[in-house]
Amino acid sequence: MNGWSGFQRDLLEQMPLILAGLRQTLQLTVIISVTGLLFGLVVFYFSNSPYQWVRSLIQGYISFFIGTPLIVLLFLMYYGLPQWGLKLSPFLVAVIGFTMNVAAYNAAYLTTARNGLDPSEIESARAQGFGRGQIFRWITLPQVLRLSVPALTNQCIGNLKDSSVAFLIQYTEFFARIQELAATNFQFFKAYLLAAAVYLGLVSILVLTARQVEKWTRLPGLGR
Amino acid sequence: MALIQIRNLVKRFGTHTVLDGVNLNLQKGEMKVVMGPSGCGKSTLLRCINRLVEPTSGTILVRDQDIMGPGVDVRALRQSIGFVFQQFALYRHLTVLGNVMLGLRKLRGMSRAEAEAQALFQLNHLEMADHRDKYPSQISGGQKQRVAIARALAMDPAVVVFDEPTSALDPVMVREVAELFNRLNREGVTLLCVTHDLALASQIANRVIFLDQGVIRADDTLENLAKHHPNDQVRAFFGQNKGQS
Repeated sequence: MNGWSGFQRDLLEQMPLILAGLRQTLQLTVIISVTGLLFGLVVFYFSNSPYQWVRSLIQGYISFFIGTPLIVLLFLMYYGLPQWGLKLSPFLVAVIGFTMNVAAYNAAYLTTARNGLDPSEIESARAQGFGRGQIFRWITLPQVLRLSVPALTNQCIGNLKDSSVAFLIQYTEFFARIQELAATNFQFFKAYLLAAAVYLGLVSILVLTARQVEKWTRLPGLGR
Repeated sequence: MALIQIRNLVKRFGTHTVLDGVNLNLQKGEMKVVMGPSGCGKSTLLRCINRLVEPTSGTILVRDQDIMGPGVDVRALRQSIGFVFQQFALYRHLTVLGNVMLGLRKLRGMSRAEAEAQALFQLNHLEMADHRDKYPSQISGGQKQRVAIARALAMDPAVVVFDEPTSALDPVMVREVAELFNRLNREGVTLLCVTHDLALASQIANRVIFLDQGVIRADDTLENLAKHHPNDQVRAFFGQNKGQS
């Protein structure tokens, strides 16, 4: 068995492709983390609408996307929509699918955090003359975001790991390139071990960053 | 003309009547105390004045303007009434200075420098300027109250209303709160205070209004209410802590 040298040779040979895949993975992770957070904030804002029908709609949205496996949604868009004449690129499908899914989770985290707010602060802001939007922007959001930092950063870590699912809709990210490497020399164990090590390294960087963010956003005198 | 005139104010929550025809006048520069047992409608009364609670019927005039009238700018109305809550309700993610500055910046549109100067002036006035960079969780109850008062006064309100100002404080703080209220009133601040704390009432007002089951039962001096009021319940309420006050 000259497994290692063969594997190393193929690895070096395919390195440019693997690195390109890694770039795609990071690109997708960053984009969906940002769009998922922004859209999650929109969903969260409407979750406290004065209109019952808006709140029900938002609750339905959150339940639907948390209750549906992401892969089903991605397949639905990538393989299902062309039957209706709508063909989207793998990248676009991944961004839309992940954004909808991640936003639902983020909105759920933010909604939970809102329960930890002191209602008298909201009443006090109303009494001062602040409008709904202002209360959201200046009172609710800064507190809810702080309370949600651990959940939101965990979601980013989840986004990085879950982005590997995108290879199933032909998005040539890191894991897709590792699949190709494994298929070239049938060294599955080594190839997937390498993939695991790379993901672990990236996740470690994210975890360390998340701890820093938690530290920066902590209020003096409070646990969080 | 009174600064605030309340006529036949009724508030019902479902079938429960909380305020049942309240009449009350508050003059500019006055310090008025409304007392009554828990659940008598005191807090609801205050919340009707700035429409945090919508009255069922009756009229409330603030500076001769019917606050339930058509086209009333509720947010402008609220800005003209400083509200100090029972638990002080400081924004916990903002420093002492930030708490006072927020309304000035976002509601009054002041620049950072203007808002800071105005906020520091008020904090200084309430002897809280040294604590400007602390967060609400790092200061005591009495200090929080002073910040809440500074926050209200910074908006230059027509009146400052207090909802149970001593209930979240140590009993030994009552004298300090009373002194502060008397000082503010001497300086020209109009105050409306609801409380069930006799010790506080006796130090800030000669006359008090007694609200019970949504109705004003009496408007008299504490002495008369405790000794000469025809109703046993009223005498009992005002006689209860005589030793302490």
